[in-house]
Amino acid sequence: MAVSESGSDSKLGSGADLRFLSRIFDFAVALIVLMLLMAAFHVHAMLTIGDWDFWVDWKDERFWVVITPVLLITFPAAFQYIFWENFRLPFAATLCLLALVLAEWITRVTAFNMWAYMPFSMVWPATLIPGAIVLDLVLMLTGNMLMTAIFGGMAFGLMFYPGNWPMLAAFMQPVDVHGSLMSVADQIGYTYTRTSTPEYLRIINRGTLRTFGGSAAPVSAFFSAFLCIIMYMIWWQIGKFFCKLITIPNVLRTHMGYGQEEKPNEGDLPLKA
Amino acid sequence: MASLDTAGTVETSKTKTPKMWFWTSPGKMFLAMAVIASGWLIQRWYQQWAGWEFGMDSTHPDFQFYWMNLFYFNLAFTAALGIGIWSYLWLTRDRDMVNLAPREEVKRIFNFVGILTCYVFAVYWAGSFFAEQDAAWHQVAIRDTSFTPSHIVLFYGAFPLYIVLGITSYVYAMTRLPIYSRRISIPLTMAVAGPFMLMPNLGFNEWGHAFWAFEEIFTAPIHYGFVIFGWTALALGGVLMEVVNRFVNYLFPTIYGKDFAKELTDKKSPMSL
Repeated sequence: MAVSESGSDSKLGSGADLRFLSRIFDFAVALIVLMLLMAAFHVHAMLTIGDWDFWVDWKDERFWVVITPVLLITFPAAFQYIFWENFRLPFAATLCLLALVLAEWITRVTAFNMWAYMPFSMVWPATLIPGAIVLDLVLMLTGNMLMTAIFGGMAFGLMFYPGNWPMLAAFMQPVDVHGSLMSVADQIGYTYTRTSTPEYLRIINRGTLRTFGGSAAPVSAFFSAFLCIIMYMIWWQIGKFFCKLITIPNVLRTHMGYGQEEKPNEGDLPLKA
Repeated sequence: MASLDTAGTVETSKTKTPKMWFWTSPGKMFLAMAVIASGWLIQRWYQQWAGWEFGMDSTHPDFQFYWMNLFYFNLAFTAALGIGIWSYLWLTRDRDMVNLAPREEVKRIFNFVGILTCYVFAVYWAGSFFAEQDAAWHQVAIRDTSFTPSHIVLFYGAFPLYIVLGITSYVYAMTRLPIYSRRISIPLTMAVAGPFMLMPNLGFNEWGHAFWAFEEIFTAPIHYGFVIFGWTALALGGVLMEVVNRFVNYLFPTIYGKDFAKELTDKKSPMSL
């Protein structure tokens, strides 16, 4: 075998070899990213908007509509920075929400249904995939963070409620239970007792919630859209921060054969900051 | 005819170089993931069997037998695993990192990616699968101890395991990879130390649940520490950038020549990117 100056033989140093290596690396990274999102994004989601997402009778027109998009545009914005700025990949937001819904469904089946014995009609998760697709589309078409924040972020907030309405509508139908008017979702919540959970309905259904003629959701959606724009810009910067290549001296370097003092070029090229 | 490649291994013209020379142990990674998944699925089955039957009253002798013994087992197992792996990695470290051959470094980077994959996979079980299961249990069953059937698996089994694997990836990187041994990487440190901090934060969680938050609302401020430390998993984006930088700025030009980018974009090849 011939050995080139760079030390590579004719087979190992070929373009096909390099492409194969790159492709395997891509698959490995894709696996990590998917599992990372299913873990970290799910933790973020369950501990910031979780209760609204767990139960069908928590899916109200006031807080659920506002809080859910605002707190779930976070990871998509950060990952859009990582994917778009570094690799020009325009599907980060959709990937984030797909991973989240997948992780949520796994636990709704294995835990909420199989262990706590709650019916699926009570514990189905909301989806933000329609808004995420638009978010990715706006970034791909404009290539601009500010435009994506304004138009994509706004769409992300506005599309949340209509995006979930096909799943939610049946549970919003009125029902008469022993002379009391309530929704089907309320009735499910009363039927399946959550012994150790405060009753959300007694907290939320008061005041002027009904003064919009039963249509509080559009107002909440517009407020959510406004907050989504701001949140997107904040989390874009957070994504940028986490990608910064920052290093500090290693006091244990002598144990790995390096000298006490750092040299400008210790056998490789410096990292690009 | 024999030749010496940059990894320092002797090859002859009769020797067939493996196509995946750069990653010799993906099978070990998948085996480790299978072991992790099997272990957690067995404990999930155990929860199903013994949760409602023996896990509701912590003062009962059955609880001590069926649940506290699992608690002790989980802690002892992960402690032994961690001490064993970290000791092995440190004692077998590379003591001459300055002269590391480029191809050997590529192999080590892929091993590192394999360990990171196992780490993130363990984080998934802790942060997603068992974490939301904890909500399903505690919003239904009243707690009378911090060591509940869901906590014993989540906080004292799944959490310690991913901490062990996170520190393993860190020790591997520091003892075998130049980009992490010459200087300390802040993204890698955050990606390991941040999720690790979920464990100390558990002290605040249990303190709060013991003294004022007897009911379970998952979106309560008592849980926000988990959220903030969970965000640090985004630093894996920085780790990805460090590895890609190393490939593009040093390893690929050294192994494949300075025109390696042309090889990657060769449209004639079926493996073209």
